Order: sequence, then C-alpha cells, then structure tokens
Amino acid sequence: MRLKILEMASVGLALTLFFTSIAALVLQSGLGHLERFWDWGLLALAVLLAASAATARPWKTLGPKRASMLQADILFFPLILYLRISGLVVPDMRLQLSGLDGSFGYNLVFPFLVLLASLVAIKDALNIHYRFTTKGRQAFVFSLIRLSALLTILILGGIFFTILFKGMWALSPEFLTGPHYSLGQKGGISTCIEGTFWLIVGAMLVSAPLGIGASIYLNEYSRSIKLKRVISIAVGGLNGVPSVVYGLFGLAFLVATFGISLLAGSVILGLMNLPTIILTSQEALKSVPNSLREGSVALGASKWQTIKKVVLPSAMPGILTGLILGVARAAGETAPIMWTAVTFTAMPVQKIYGVIPDPYQPVNNLCYHLLQLIYFLGAWDVESNAWGTALVLILLVLVLNLAAIMVRNHYRKKVSW
Amino acid sequence: MLRGGGTARRYGDKAVEAFFFFTAITSIIIMALIFYFLIRESVPAFYEVGPVHLLLGNKWHSPGGIFGMMPLITSTLLVTALALVINILIGLPLAIYLSELASPLGREILKPAIELLAGVPSIVYGFLGVLVLVSYLGSTFDMLTGRSILAAAVLLGVMFIPALATICEDSLRAVPKEFKEGSLALGATEWQTVRNVTLPAASSGIIAAVILNVGRIIGETMAALLVVGNIARSPSPLFDVFDRGATFTSVIAGEMGEVAHGSLHYSSLFAVGLVLLVIVTILNITSEIIRARIQKKFGGY
Repeated sequence: MRLKILEMASVGLALTLFFTSIAALVLQSGLGHLERFWDWGLLALAVLLAASAATARPWKTLGPKRASMLQADILFFPLILYLRISGLVVPDMRLQLSGLDGSFGYNLVFPFLVLLASLVAIKDALNIHYRFTTKGRQAFVFSLIRLSALLTILILGGIFFTILFKGMWALSPEFLTGPHYSLGQKGGISTCIEGTFWLIVGAMLVSAPLGIGASIYLNEYSRSIKLKRVISIAVGGLNGVPSVVYGLFGLAFLVATFGISLLAGSVILGLMNLPTIILTSQEALKSVPNSLREGSVALGASKWQTIKKVVLPSAMPGILTGLILGVARAAGETAPIMWTAVTFTAMPVQKIYGVIPDPYQPVNNLCYHLLQLIYFLGAWDVESNAWGTALVLILLVLVLNLAAIMVRNHYRKKVSW
Repeated sequence: MLRGGGTARRYGDKAVEAFFFFTAITSIIIMALIFYFLIRESVPAFYEVGPVHLLLGNKWHSPGGIFGMMPLITSTLLVTALALVINILIGLPLAIYLSELASPLGREILKPAIELLAGVPSIVYGFLGVLVLVSYLGSTFDMLTGRSILAAAVLLGVMFIPALATICEDSLRAVPKEFKEGSLALGATEWQTVRNVTLPAASSGIIAAVILNVGRIIGETMAALLVVGNIARSPSPLFDVFDRGATFTSVIAGEMGEVAHGSLHYSSLFAVGLVLLVIVTILNITSEIIRARIQKKFGGY
C-alpha cells in the first residue's frame, strides 16, 4: 500500500529544514531552539523516508544501484546525528585547516550539514513520489532552480531595501540643500549633487554629439565594411575598458594639461559613455525601415535632409534611451574621476557670470563623497550621512535606468512599422 | 546618389558627412590614445625594474620601492575565479528560471527589476560590503578582519549576477521554439529538453556572456578596493581565501592617490593598469568573436 501522506510529510519537513538552515546561515545569530528541532527533524526525516520508500515498494523496480544509493542517502541523517552525539559537531567546535586565516564554527557547520541533508531528503522524497522516473528528476531540478531564483531575488531586493530603510532617516530638506561640514559628520550633500550635475552635463556635451554622430556614420554613410568592422571592434574594446584605466588615462592625458578639474572629469566620463551611446543609437537607427529613407529620397530630399527629417525623428526614442543610460553610468562612476575631477569640498561650484561653471575647478561628487565617508567610517560618526548619500545616489541611478527602460518599452509597444 | 540641389547644399552635405566620419573614428583614436598613454607612462617602470621582475617578481612593497606583480596576479586570479563560480552558480539558475519557468507576468516584473539592479553603482556595493559583508564574514569564519579575498569574491560575484542573468536569459530565449517542441514531441521531459537542447543551443551565447563577465569582474574597482584588504602579498597557502590580498584594480585605486607624479611607483601603477587593460581587451575581443561567429552561424542566439 502506498502512503502519499508520508511522502508529503517528508517533503514538507525537508523544506522546513531547508529554509531554517538557510536563515541560520544568513543571520548567524546563534541557533537557540533550532538545534533541538533539527536533531529531531533529521531523525524524523530518516524514518519518514525509509517508511515511504518501503510503502511505495519501489525496491523491485529499482535495481541494486538505485536501491543502494537510496539507502546511503537515508543513512546520511543518522550520520549527522552520530557526529552530534560523538562530540564532533557541538557548540564549541572549531574546524581549522592548517594555514587558513579563517575557521569554521558550529554556527556554520551544523546549518550547512542540515542544508545538505534537506536537499538530499527533497531529492529522495520526490524520487519516491514519482517512482524514480525522469519526472522526479525534473521536479527536483526545477524546485532547486525555483529556490535559487527566489533566494537571489531576496538577496538583490534585500540590498535595495537595506539602503532604502537605513538611508531614509538621513534624508531631510537640509540634507539635500546644505553643504557638509565637520568632515561630513554633519550637514548635507548639496555640493555633491551640484558637482554630479555639472559633471553629467559636461559628460553628455562630450558624448552625445560624438556618440550619435558615430552611430549615424556607421549606419547611414559608411560604405566600407572593413572600416565599419574596425570601428565596431574599437567601440567594443572601449566598452570593456575598466573604469580605473579611464582614470589612469585621464590622469596622464588631461590632468597634465587642465589640472584636477571639472573639464578633465567631464571629458573622461564622456569618453567612457561613448560606447553605450553608440551601441544603443545604432540599434535604434537599424530599426528604422529602409522604406522610410527611400520614400524621403524619392521626394527629392538630400541624404542629410533625410537623416535629419526622417531617420533621426523615427530613431529618437532609442537614442534617448541610450542617452539616459549614459547619464546613469556617468552618475555612478567613481574610479575615472577620483584623480581627475573631484575633491572633498564643501564649496559650491564657482560660476562665470553666475551661470556657467568654471571648468578649471575641481568639484565634489556623490560617489566620491560616499567614498570619503566610507574611509572616515571607523574614525568619525558619519554612518548615517553615508547611508543617506548612498540612498540618494542609488535613487538617482535607478530612476534614470527606470526612465530608460520605460522609454524603450513604451515605444517598442507603440511603434510598429 | 542624389542629383540636383545647389552646389552649396552638396558642399553642406559633404561637410556633414566629414563631421560624422570624424565622430566615427573617435573611438579608434581614443582606444589608441589610451594604449599610448598607458604605455608611455609605464615604460620607465619596465625600464628600471625590468619586464620579467616587474611582471613576475613575487613582492610588491611600494614604500621599499619593490614592484613585482605576482602577488597581484595570484590575488586577482583567486578573486576572479571564486567570484565567477558564485556568479554562475546563482546567475545561471536565475536565467533558466526567467526564461523557462517564470509565468509571463512574473517575467514582466522580474526582468526589468533585475535589469535595474544591474545599474547600482559599484561604490554602493562597496559601501554595503564594508558595513554588512565584511563584518558578517569576519564573525562567521572567525577572521581577524572580514576584509579578505573571499569578501571581494562574494561581493563581485553577487554584483554581476544581474548582468549575467539578463544576457543568459536573452540567449536562452533566442533558441528557436522548434528545437524545444521537437524535443518535447519526442517524449523528453521539460528538464531533459532544457539540459540537452536549450542549454547546448544557447551555450555560445552563455559562454560569451561569461567571458564578458570575467572582464567586468577583473576590471571592477571600487567594490574590490573597499573589501579586499589591499595588502599586496600572495596568500599562503595559495588557496587561503581568508587572507587579505590586493587585486590589480585595488592597488591602482588605493595607491595612485598618494604617489608623486613621475616616480617609479607612479610608473609601476601604470604598468599594472596596462596589464589589466591588455587582459580585459583580449577577453572582450574573444567574447566579441564568439558572438560574431554565432550570429554568422545561426542568425544570433
């Protein structure tokens, strides 16, 4: 007689063990009552699995190899209990490999063993339930994939919400509109916001014309396939150049001439953005159908008129997406500007005629401000302001990225050629 | 070409085309300039230390004026390898989930959310690494400080999950439906189809994504700088991931701020940057070639 309830119970218990052990691994706050629960849970799992295996009577259909594997799996649970009783896995244990600077304590080893055991139990219970067919394997693998996707989303969401909840308390009108003082322990981030703004404006002044122009040339004018190939290799190469290398490049190339300045930082950030803008604009231009171009030319328009009046307006949403992504990237980069454009200043940006910022002065910047606060963490009381800065930075970048995604999706749905 | 219109218009068109041509070759010029300046600034180091000692010397001690990159190479390799394992182990299942298992509504919400998280600035990850990850690892593994190769690897691995998952999901979804349907029609289960049909068909795209991610992990600066510990010595034994280390990027970012312009130290840091640039460029070109080959062969997935 087959007892489905046994299989269900073992899956349920195994899942409970799985989640509690993950929680214990992540939280690391002592095991408390879990210890007892896991001991009994492991024992119960061994009994449940053995019982459901026996009642499902799969042994005849199993073959010796699978049967012995199932037996080995079931023996794994008492083995852990034996380790516990024999004093190897007890609260004051420390597993230290020779030469390693770290060691493995009870709070790590026991939950890990329970995690392994729960996975083994889930596998066996599903296999028994599906009578060792390929369906059982699929159920196991797919549930693993589901669980790992769930955990990943929890981690990534956790990162965002940690910053949101910790940074919320630092935000206030004064924080956003006042300069910082006493080494960033007090005051706000107005100079960083201003500096970030002007750096972005400068970067876009460099990268927008160059990027859009390059994509127009590649897509509309270029007739030489070889040149196109070389350019796209260069664009791909630029796209992959590490941000710190851009910083070195700026240090050697621009700082020698302009000094540490808004101008040098803008140029570097602009050049770094270039591949993003070229690649997205090119996609946008490619998606404009040729019939539009031909129609315009047939009406007697010149090539440039066609591009200006027909091609560019049709490709605008895609190009705009690229520009917004470029802004987001420029706002979030630290390494390229840390030696080329920024200081930890509380002075507002100096303006010529009250409008245009003086390009030869260094400015402050959100990313660099956060970096300095991180360096001050141990020495001064800057933690709450640092969370606030991180929140402002992440919100700025996420809102920009969201805008880019929305522009893209909006027009993707709307435009059909 | 178009006839008619005044000569002025034709000259105007020529000028416009010339301008666009100039913008198009900017990328080539900049790539060349980057290489030129990095080589120019690092030549003194190669000259004074000697290329073999500089690249393979097993001590990096900047106050003593000893510059050998071996400790940086080993730390970087350890960090990258470990980060990649974490990255793939978590990112690939997420991609499979998104492309094969998630409901349409779930994907509609999750995909943009994950794409958004790919844009979180690295300095924010570094900040969280310092405040959360380092103390967590320190207490869990009973280390002196939590700053370690392991911390950097975990942080970088997690950081690039969204990047890997979105690209892999794209290549998994690009596998033609007929392939999957054929397999299912032959009686394979969905998992057998994923494992034996979809994954192999998308493997080139996945490999290209992984190589691209290796480049990203090696080149990531701020997060590595803040949690790796920044002590340039080889871990002993070599697999001791609980030791502190210094990667290419963390050494440059950590030490460049305080060196005298034109000193040997300055030049050696540029040499580190040059090595980094060469490695990453090779990785990118490889990834690009793989992608181009797939596009030629299958029309792209």
